[in-house]
Amino acid sequence: MIRTAFLRTARQAIRSAPRYHAPIARPVARSSLFQSKQVAPATYFQAVRSYSAHAGLSKDEVEGRIMDLLKNFDKVQDASKLNAQSHFHNDLGLDSLDTVEVVMAIEEEFSIEIPDKEADAIHSVNQAVEYILAQPDAH
Amino acid sequence: MTRLSGLQREVLSLYRQCMRAVREKPADTRDNFRVFARTEFRRNVRLDKKDFGTIEYLLRKGHRQLEIYRDPGIRNISR
Repeated sequence: MIRTAFLRTARQAIRSAPRYHAPIARPVARSSLFQSKQVAPATYFQAVRSYSAHAGLSKDEVEGRIMDLLKNFDKVQDASKLNAQSHFHNDLGLDSLDTVEVVMAIEEEFSIEIPDKEADAIHSVNQAVEYILAQPDAH
Repeated sequence: MTRLSGLQREVLSLYRQCMRAVREKPADTRDNFRVFARTEFRRNVRLDKKDFGTIEYLLRKGHRQLEIYRDPGIRNISR
C-alpha cells in the first residue's frame, strides 16, 4: 500500500512540477513503476520522499499526538498531571473502560488495529508510545 | 493496575467490540451510539466483581444487544 501511495504521489508531483524540471523528472516517472528506489535529484522530490519514508515516526511526534488525544478526552480529570510518564489510572483517573476508549482512540489516530491482548497491556502514555513505535505500519 | 480476572477481560473485550461497532455507524449519529454504550456499561459499574451470575448474564445480554444494534439498518439511537 505504501508503495502504491508512493507511486501515486510521485506521479502527481511530477505532473505538477514546473516545466523545466520535466526532462529530468519524466524518465523517473516511467521507471519508478518498477524501481521505486530510484529517485531523481533530492531537491525535486523532497515532498515525495517524506511520504514514503516509513521510518518517519519519531518518539516525540508519537508522544505529542497521544498527549493531544488525551488532552481532548473528556474523562481526563486532571490535565495538569498529563505528561509522557502519566499512568492512565493512577495519574489521570481513568478506569478500565476509559482506558479501552483511549487505546481505541490511539488506534484510530495511528490507523492500526491493536489486538485485545496487547491493548489490555497498555496502561500508560509511555507504554502506548512504545507500542506505537514498535509497529511498522503505524503512521 | 491490579491484574484483571478473565471475566473482567471479557467485559472489556465486549466494550471494545461495541466501540468498534460504533465506528461503523454514520458520522452524525456516532456520538449517540457511543453515549448509549457508555451508559449501558456504566450502569453496572458498581457491581461486585464476585457477582459472577449477574455479570455473565449482563455479558450475554450485551452481546445480544450488540448484534442487534450493529445492524447497518439501525442508523440512530436515543434513550
